[in-house]
Amino acid sequence: MAATDGERNKLEFSLDVPFPSSREAAIALRSLSPDREPRKGGISKQLTVSDSTLSVRWSADEARILRVSVNSFLDHLSLVMETMEMFGPRCPPQ
Amino acid sequence: MTVVIGFEGSANKIGIGIIRDGEVLSNPRRTYITPPGQGFMPSDTARHHRAVILTVLKEALEQAGLKPADIDCVAYTKGPGMGAPLVTVALVARTVAQLWGKPLLGVNHCIGHIEMGRLITKANNPTVLYVSGGNTQISNDPSPGYNIEQMAKRGSQYVELPYTVKGMDVSFSGILSYIEEVSHKMLSSGQCAAEDLCFSLQETLFSMLVEITERAMAHCGSQEVLIVGGVGCNLRLQEMMGVMCKERGAKLFATDERFCIDNGAMIAQAGWEMFRSGQVTELEDSWITQRYRTDEVEVTWRD
Repeated sequence: MAATDGERNKLEFSLDVPFPSSREAAIALRSLSPDREPRKGGISKQLTVSDSTLSVRWSADEARILRVSVNSFLDHLSLVMETMEMFGPRCPPQ
Repeated sequence: MTVVIGFEGSANKIGIGIIRDGEVLSNPRRTYITPPGQGFMPSDTARHHRAVILTVLKEALEQAGLKPADIDCVAYTKGPGMGAPLVTVALVARTVAQLWGKPLLGVNHCIGHIEMGRLITKANNPTVLYVSGGNTQISNDPSPGYNIEQMAKRGSQYVELPYTVKGMDVSFSGILSYIEEVSHKMLSSGQCAAEDLCFSLQETLFSMLVEITERAMAHCGSQEVLIVGGVGCNLRLQEMMGVMCKERGAKLFATDERFCIDNGAMIAQAGWEMFRSGQVTELEDSWITQRYRTDEVEVTWRD
Protein backbone atom coordinates (compact mmCIF):
# COMPACT_ATOMS: atom_id res chain seq x y z
CA MET A 1 0.00 0.00 0.00
CA ALA A 2 2.98 2.31 0.38
CA ALA A 3 4.95 3.19 -2.71
CA THR A 4 7.73 5.51 -3.50
CA ASP A 5 7.73 7.71 -6.53
CA GLY A 6 11.40 8.24 -7.29
CA GLU A 7 10.81 11.33 -9.36
CA ARG A 8 9.02 13.31 -6.68
CA ASN A 9 10.55 11.47 -3.68
CA LYS A 10 7.16 11.28 -2.02
CA LEU A 11 5.71 8.39 -0.06
CA GLU A 12 2.08 7.59 -0.72
CA PHE A 13 -0.38 5.64 1.37
CA SER A 14 -3.97 4.86 0.61
CA LEU A 15 -6.75 3.55 2.79
CA ASP A 16 -10.28 2.52 1.85
CA VAL A 17 -12.77 2.10 4.67
CA PRO A 18 -16.11 0.39 4.02
CA PHE A 19 -19.15 1.59 5.98
CA PRO A 20 -22.56 -0.08 6.38
CA SER A 21 -24.21 2.80 4.51
CA SER A 22 -23.34 5.85 2.42
CA ARG A 23 -24.84 8.07 5.13
CA GLU A 24 -22.37 6.79 7.70
CA ALA A 25 -19.46 7.15 5.31
CA ALA A 26 -20.51 10.75 4.68
CA ILE A 27 -20.80 11.45 8.43
CA ALA A 28 -17.32 10.05 8.98
CA LEU A 29 -15.95 12.21 6.19
CA ARG A 30 -17.44 15.41 7.60
CA SER A 31 -16.23 14.60 11.12
CA LEU A 32 -12.69 13.71 10.07
CA SER A 33 -11.91 16.32 7.42
CA PRO A 34 -12.14 19.73 9.18
CA ASP A 35 -8.95 19.62 11.28
CA ARG A 36 -5.63 20.43 9.66
CA GLU A 37 -2.57 18.23 10.01
CA PRO A 38 -0.79 19.32 13.21
CA ARG A 39 2.51 19.28 11.33
CA LYS A 40 2.84 22.24 8.98
CA GLY A 41 4.82 20.65 6.14
CA GLY A 42 5.91 17.33 4.77
CA ILE A 43 2.49 15.66 4.80
CA SER A 44 -0.88 16.08 3.18
CA LYS A 45 -3.98 13.92 2.99
CA GLN A 46 -7.21 13.90 1.08
CA LEU A 47 -10.49 12.37 2.14
CA THR A 48 -13.23 11.41 -0.30
CA VAL A 49 -16.39 9.32 -0.21
CA SER A 50 -17.76 7.09 -2.93
CA ASP A 51 -21.03 5.30 -2.10
CA SER A 52 -20.35 3.76 1.30
CA THR A 53 -16.56 3.81 1.16
CA LEU A 54 -14.38 6.47 2.74
CA SER A 55 -11.04 6.80 0.93
CA VAL A 56 -7.97 8.52 2.32
CA ARG A 57 -4.83 9.34 0.32
CA TRP A 58 -1.64 10.48 2.01
CA SER A 59 1.44 12.03 0.47
CA ALA A 60 4.49 12.46 2.71
CA ASP A 61 8.18 13.31 2.52
CA GLU A 62 9.34 10.87 5.19
CA ALA A 63 8.17 7.48 6.45
CA ARG A 64 8.17 8.61 10.08
CA ILE A 65 5.86 11.55 9.37
CA LEU A 66 3.58 9.31 7.30
CA ARG A 67 3.40 6.72 10.08
CA VAL A 68 2.46 9.30 12.72
CA SER A 69 -0.29 10.76 10.57
CA VAL A 70 -1.76 7.40 9.59
CA ASN A 71 -1.72 6.15 13.20
CA SER A 72 -3.39 9.31 14.40
CA PHE A 73 -6.04 9.04 11.68
CA LEU A 74 -6.82 5.43 12.57
CA ASP A 75 -7.34 6.41 16.23
CA HIS A 76 -9.68 9.19 15.16
CA LEU A 77 -11.51 6.96 12.71
CA SER A 78 -12.12 4.31 15.36
CA LEU A 79 -13.48 6.96 17.77
CA VAL A 80 -15.89 8.21 15.10
CA MET A 81 -17.03 4.66 14.35
CA GLU A 82 -17.53 3.86 18.03
CA THR A 83 -19.55 7.04 18.43
CA MET A 84 -21.77 6.11 15.48
CA GLU A 85 -22.24 2.64 16.88
CA MET A 86 -23.21 3.88 20.33
CA PHE A 87 -25.31 6.90 19.40
CA GLY A 88 -26.48 6.18 15.86
CA PRO A 89 -29.98 5.13 14.86
CA ARG A 90 -29.18 1.42 14.91
CA CYS A 91 -28.33 1.21 18.64
CA PRO A 92 -30.06 4.08 20.48
CA PRO A 93 -28.75 4.78 24.01
CA GLN A 94 -31.05 3.59 26.85
CA MET B 1 -37.17 26.29 25.50
CA THR B 2 -33.64 25.67 24.28
CA VAL B 3 -31.49 22.71 25.32
CA VAL B 4 -27.78 22.74 24.53
CA ILE B 5 -25.21 20.04 25.16
CA GLY B 6 -21.60 21.23 25.58
CA PHE B 7 -18.35 19.26 25.17
CA GLU B 8 -15.14 20.42 26.86
CA GLY B 9 -11.70 18.77 26.78
CA SER B 10 -9.09 21.42 25.97
CA ALA B 11 -6.85 20.53 28.93
CA ASN B 12 -6.82 17.65 31.38
CA LYS B 13 -10.51 17.76 32.23
CA ILE B 14 -13.11 16.12 29.98
CA GLY B 15 -16.61 17.28 30.72
CA ILE B 16 -19.99 17.16 28.98
CA GLY B 17 -22.86 19.24 30.28
CA ILE B 18 -26.46 19.95 29.35
CA ILE B 19 -28.20 23.29 29.93
CA ARG B 20 -31.85 24.15 29.42
CA ASP B 21 -32.62 27.87 29.58
CA GLY B 22 -30.09 28.61 32.30
CA GLU B 23 -30.64 25.41 34.25
CA VAL B 24 -27.76 22.94 34.50
CA LEU B 25 -29.37 19.53 33.92
CA SER B 26 -26.15 17.51 34.08
CA ASN B 27 -22.42 18.18 34.19
CA PRO B 28 -20.31 15.00 34.52
CA ARG B 29 -16.54 15.40 34.31
CA ARG B 30 -13.34 13.34 34.50
CA THR B 31 -9.83 14.62 35.23
CA TYR B 32 -6.65 13.16 33.77
CA ILE B 33 -4.21 12.94 36.66
CA THR B 34 -0.55 12.31 35.92
CA PRO B 35 1.94 10.75 38.35
CA PRO B 36 3.61 13.16 40.81
CA GLY B 37 6.30 15.30 39.26
CA GLN B 38 4.81 15.20 35.77
CA GLY B 39 2.65 17.67 33.92
CA PHE B 40 0.06 16.43 31.41
CA MET B 41 1.15 15.98 27.78
CA PRO B 42 -1.15 16.36 24.76
CA SER B 43 -1.14 12.81 23.37
CA ASP B 44 -1.57 11.15 26.79
CA THR B 45 -4.33 13.60 27.64
CA ALA B 46 -6.06 12.87 24.32
CA ARG B 47 -5.78 9.15 25.02
CA HIS B 48 -7.39 9.65 28.42
CA HIS B 49 -10.26 11.67 26.97
CA ARG B 50 -10.77 9.20 24.14
CA ALA B 51 -11.13 6.34 26.62
CA VAL B 52 -13.88 7.98 28.67
CA ILE B 53 -15.69 10.47 26.44
CA LEU B 54 -18.49 8.20 25.25
CA THR B 55 -19.18 7.04 28.81
CA VAL B 56 -19.33 10.66 30.00
CA LEU B 57 -21.68 11.47 27.12
CA LYS B 58 -24.01 8.68 28.15
CA GLU B 59 -23.89 9.94 31.74
CA ALA B 60 -24.71 13.48 30.65
CA LEU B 61 -27.84 12.31 28.83
CA GLU B 62 -28.90 9.87 31.56
CA GLN B 63 -28.39 12.33 34.43
CA ALA B 64 -30.37 14.97 32.56
CA GLY B 65 -33.05 12.39 31.77
CA LEU B 66 -32.96 13.38 28.10
CA LYS B 67 -32.85 11.68 24.71
CA PRO B 68 -30.82 13.03 21.77
CA ALA B 69 -34.10 14.25 20.19
CA ASP B 70 -34.51 16.66 23.14
CA ILE B 71 -31.25 18.46 22.34
CA ASP B 72 -31.44 21.60 20.19
CA CYS B 73 -27.75 22.28 19.61
CA VAL B 74 -24.36 20.61 20.05
CA ALA B 75 -21.65 22.95 21.36
CA TYR B 76 -17.99 22.04 21.74
CA THR B 77 -14.70 23.78 22.51
CA LYS B 78 -13.15 25.06 19.29
CA GLY B 79 -10.15 26.39 21.22
CA PRO B 80 -7.88 27.53 22.73
CA GLY B 81 -6.12 24.56 24.29
CA MET B 82 -4.06 21.49 23.51
CA GLY B 83 -4.43 20.21 19.95
CA ALA B 84 -4.81 16.46 20.35
CA PRO B 85 -7.39 16.58 23.18
CA LEU B 86 -9.36 19.29 21.35
CA VAL B 87 -9.57 17.09 18.23
CA THR B 88 -10.73 14.05 20.21
CA VAL B 89 -13.63 15.97 21.67
CA ALA B 90 -14.51 17.78 18.44
CA LEU B 91 -14.73 14.46 16.58
CA VAL B 92 -17.42 13.17 18.92
CA ALA B 93 -19.32 16.48 18.89
CA ARG B 94 -19.31 16.61 15.08
CA THR B 95 -20.40 13.00 14.81
CA VAL B 96 -23.34 13.21 17.22
CA ALA B 97 -24.43 16.54 15.71
CA GLN B 98 -24.74 14.77 12.36
CA LEU B 99 -26.26 11.57 13.78
CA TRP B 100 -28.90 13.53 15.67
CA GLY B 101 -29.41 16.13 12.93
CA LYS B 102 -28.59 19.08 15.21
CA PRO B 103 -26.67 22.30 14.49
CA LEU B 104 -23.08 22.49 15.69
CA LEU B 105 -21.46 25.42 17.56
CA GLY B 106 -17.75 25.96 18.13
CA VAL B 107 -17.20 27.82 21.39
CA ASN B 108 -14.20 29.74 22.72
CA HIS B 109 -13.19 28.08 26.01
CA CYS B 110 -12.60 31.40 27.80
CA ILE B 111 -16.01 32.71 26.72
CA GLY B 112 -17.41 29.50 28.23
CA HIS B 113 -15.87 30.40 31.60
CA ILE B 114 -17.16 33.96 31.38
CA GLU B 115 -20.72 33.09 30.36
CA MET B 116 -20.98 30.42 33.05
CA GLY B 117 -19.71 32.89 35.63
CA ARG B 118 -22.34 35.41 34.54
CA LEU B 119 -25.11 32.80 34.64
CA ILE B 120 -24.25 31.49 38.09
CA THR B 121 -23.52 34.81 39.78
CA LYS B 122 -26.06 36.95 37.87
CA ALA B 123 -23.43 39.69 37.61
CA ASN B 124 -24.78 42.45 35.39
CA ASN B 125 -21.84 43.98 33.55
CA PRO B 126 -18.68 42.89 35.35
CA THR B 127 -15.00 43.33 34.71
CA VAL B 128 -13.96 39.70 34.28
CA LEU B 129 -10.72 38.26 35.56
CA TYR B 130 -10.17 34.91 33.88
CA VAL B 131 -7.35 33.18 35.73
CA SER B 132 -6.45 29.66 34.76
CA GLY B 133 -4.07 27.03 36.06
CA GLY B 134 -3.05 24.48 33.47
CA ASN B 135 0.14 22.54 33.35
CA THR B 136 2.61 22.61 36.25
CA GLN B 137 5.50 20.38 37.24
CA ILE B 138 4.33 19.02 40.57
CA SER B 139 1.69 16.54 41.72
CA ASN B 140 -1.59 16.91 39.90
CA ASP B 141 -3.81 15.25 42.45
CA PRO B 142 -5.17 17.49 43.77
CA SER B 143 -4.10 20.27 41.41
CA PRO B 144 -0.79 22.11 41.99
CA GLY B 145 -2.57 25.36 42.70
CA TYR B 146 -4.66 23.68 45.37
CA ASN B 147 -1.50 22.32 47.02
CA ILE B 148 0.09 25.78 47.01
CA GLU B 149 -3.10 27.25 48.44
CA GLN B 150 -3.18 24.78 51.34
CA MET B 151 0.50 25.31 52.15
CA ALA B 152 0.12 29.08 51.89
CA LYS B 153 -2.57 28.98 54.58
CA ARG B 154 0.10 27.68 56.98
CA GLY B 155 2.71 30.26 55.92
CA SER B 156 3.18 33.61 57.61
CA GLN B 157 6.60 35.01 56.83
CA TYR B 158 6.50 37.31 53.81
CA VAL B 159 9.48 36.91 51.51
CA GLU B 160 9.90 39.64 48.93
CA LEU B 161 9.55 38.32 45.40
CA PRO B 162 9.75 40.07 41.99
CA TYR B 163 6.57 42.00 41.24
CA THR B 164 6.04 42.81 37.57
CA VAL B 165 3.08 44.80 36.35
CA LYS B 166 3.16 47.20 33.42
CA GLY B 167 -0.17 48.84 32.74
CA MET B 168 -2.52 45.97 31.98
CA ASP B 169 0.25 43.41 31.51
CA VAL B 170 1.68 41.04 34.09
CA SER B 171 4.79 38.92 33.84
CA PHE B 172 5.37 35.75 35.83
CA SER B 173 8.69 34.70 34.31
CA GLY B 174 10.73 36.86 36.71
CA ILE B 175 9.09 35.41 39.78
CA LEU B 176 9.40 31.87 38.44
CA SER B 177 13.14 32.07 37.73
CA TYR B 178 13.72 33.84 41.04
CA ILE B 179 11.93 31.09 43.00
CA GLU B 180 13.81 28.38 41.09
CA GLU B 181 17.14 30.03 41.94
CA VAL B 182 16.68 30.90 45.59
CA SER B 183 14.11 28.48 47.02
CA HIS B 184 16.52 25.61 47.53
CA LYS B 185 19.01 27.86 49.31
CA MET B 186 16.38 29.57 51.45
CA LEU B 187 14.75 26.32 52.50
CA SER B 188 17.94 24.45 53.33
CA SER B 189 19.39 27.37 55.27
CA GLY B 190 16.19 27.51 57.30
CA GLN B 191 15.61 31.12 56.34
CA CYS B 192 11.99 30.29 55.70
CA ALA B 193 9.70 27.30 55.28
CA ALA B 194 8.07 26.06 52.08
CA GLU B 195 4.77 27.28 53.49
CA ASP B 196 6.17 30.81 53.71
CA LEU B 197 7.29 30.69 50.07
CA CYS B 198 3.83 29.53 49.00
CA PHE B 199 2.28 32.28 51.09
CA SER B 200 4.59 34.91 49.57
CA LEU B 201 4.00 33.59 46.06
CA GLN B 202 0.25 33.96 46.46
CA GLU B 203 0.47 37.40 48.08
CA THR B 204 2.69 38.67 45.27
CA LEU B 205 0.92 37.11 42.30
CA PHE B 206 -2.55 37.87 43.55
CA SER B 207 -1.59 41.49 44.25
CA MET B 208 -0.54 41.76 40.64
CA LEU B 209 -3.89 40.38 39.50
CA VAL B 210 -5.79 42.69 41.83
CA GLU B 211 -3.83 45.68 40.51
CA ILE B 212 -4.64 45.01 36.86
CA THR B 213 -8.26 44.26 37.68
CA GLU B 214 -8.55 47.56 39.52
CA ARG B 215 -6.95 49.38 36.60
CA ALA B 216 -9.43 47.79 34.18
CA MET B 217 -12.32 48.80 36.42
CA ALA B 218 -11.06 52.38 36.56
CA HIS B 219 -10.72 52.53 32.76
CA CYS B 220 -14.19 51.07 32.16
CA GLY B 221 -16.01 52.67 35.09
CA SER B 222 -17.06 49.22 36.23
CA GLN B 223 -18.58 48.43 39.62
CA GLU B 224 -18.55 44.64 39.39
CA VAL B 225 -15.79 42.03 39.29
CA LEU B 226 -16.28 38.42 38.22
CA ILE B 227 -13.45 35.91 38.75
CA VAL B 228 -13.57 32.80 36.56
CA GLY B 229 -11.13 29.98 35.75
CA GLY B 230 -9.66 27.32 38.02
CA VAL B 231 -7.56 29.76 40.05
CA GLY B 232 -10.81 31.58 40.83
CA CYS B 233 -11.45 28.83 43.42
CA ASN B 234 -8.60 30.23 45.52
CA LEU B 235 -10.03 31.79 48.69
CA ARG B 236 -7.11 34.15 49.27
CA LEU B 237 -7.48 35.59 45.77
CA GLN B 238 -11.20 36.07 46.40
CA GLU B 239 -10.38 37.70 49.74
CA MET B 240 -7.82 40.13 48.30
CA MET B 241 -10.08 41.03 45.39
CA GLY B 242 -12.88 41.53 47.89
CA VAL B 243 -10.82 44.07 49.83
CA MET B 244 -10.11 46.06 46.68
CA CYS B 245 -13.79 45.94 45.67
CA LYS B 246 -14.93 47.10 49.11
CA GLU B 247 -12.56 50.07 48.90
CA ARG B 248 -14.14 51.04 45.57
CA GLY B 249 -17.71 50.24 46.59
CA ALA B 250 -17.83 47.51 43.95
CA LYS B 251 -19.30 44.00 44.08
CA LEU B 252 -17.27 40.81 43.77
CA PHE B 253 -18.62 37.63 42.15
CA ALA B 254 -16.98 34.20 42.10
CA THR B 255 -18.16 30.64 41.45
CA ASP B 256 -17.34 27.37 43.21
CA GLU B 257 -15.19 24.52 41.91
CA ARG B 258 -18.05 22.92 39.98
CA PHE B 259 -17.93 25.84 37.57
CA CYS B 260 -14.55 27.59 37.93
CA ILE B 261 -12.80 24.41 36.89
CA ASP B 262 -13.24 23.41 33.22
CA ASN B 263 -16.59 21.70 32.63
CA GLY B 264 -19.01 20.89 29.82
CA ALA B 265 -21.92 22.99 31.08
CA MET B 266 -19.95 26.22 30.61
CA ILE B 267 -19.52 25.38 26.93
CA ALA B 268 -23.22 24.55 26.74
CA GLN B 269 -24.07 27.91 28.33
CA ALA B 270 -21.91 29.92 25.92
CA GLY B 271 -23.36 27.79 23.14
CA TRP B 272 -26.89 28.56 24.36
CA GLU B 273 -26.23 32.33 24.14
CA MET B 274 -24.58 32.07 20.73
CA PHE B 275 -27.23 29.75 19.30
CA ARG B 276 -30.11 31.93 20.47
CA SER B 277 -28.47 34.95 18.83
CA GLY B 278 -28.38 33.05 15.54
CA GLN B 279 -24.84 31.68 15.36
CA VAL B 280 -24.03 28.24 13.97
CA THR B 281 -20.75 26.57 12.94
CA GLU B 282 -20.68 24.77 9.60
CA LEU B 283 -18.88 21.42 9.73
CA GLU B 284 -16.22 22.60 7.26
CA ASP B 285 -15.44 25.50 9.62
CA SER B 286 -15.45 23.38 12.77
CA TRP B 287 -11.67 22.82 12.86
CA ILE B 288 -10.07 23.20 16.25
CA THR B 289 -7.42 25.78 17.01
CA GLN B 290 -4.83 25.88 19.79
CA ARG B 291 -4.71 29.65 19.74
CA TYR B 292 -8.00 31.47 19.97
CA ARG B 293 -8.07 34.93 21.51
CA THR B 294 -11.08 35.86 23.59
CA ASP B 295 -11.39 39.16 21.71
CA GLU B 296 -11.62 37.37 18.35
CA VAL B 297 -15.13 36.19 19.20
CA GLU B 298 -18.00 38.25 17.86
CA VAL B 299 -20.35 38.72 20.80
CA THR B 300 -23.72 38.76 19.07
CA TRP B 301 -25.76 38.01 22.19
CA ARG B 302 -24.92 41.07 24.25
CA ASP B 303 -24.81 44.83 23.59
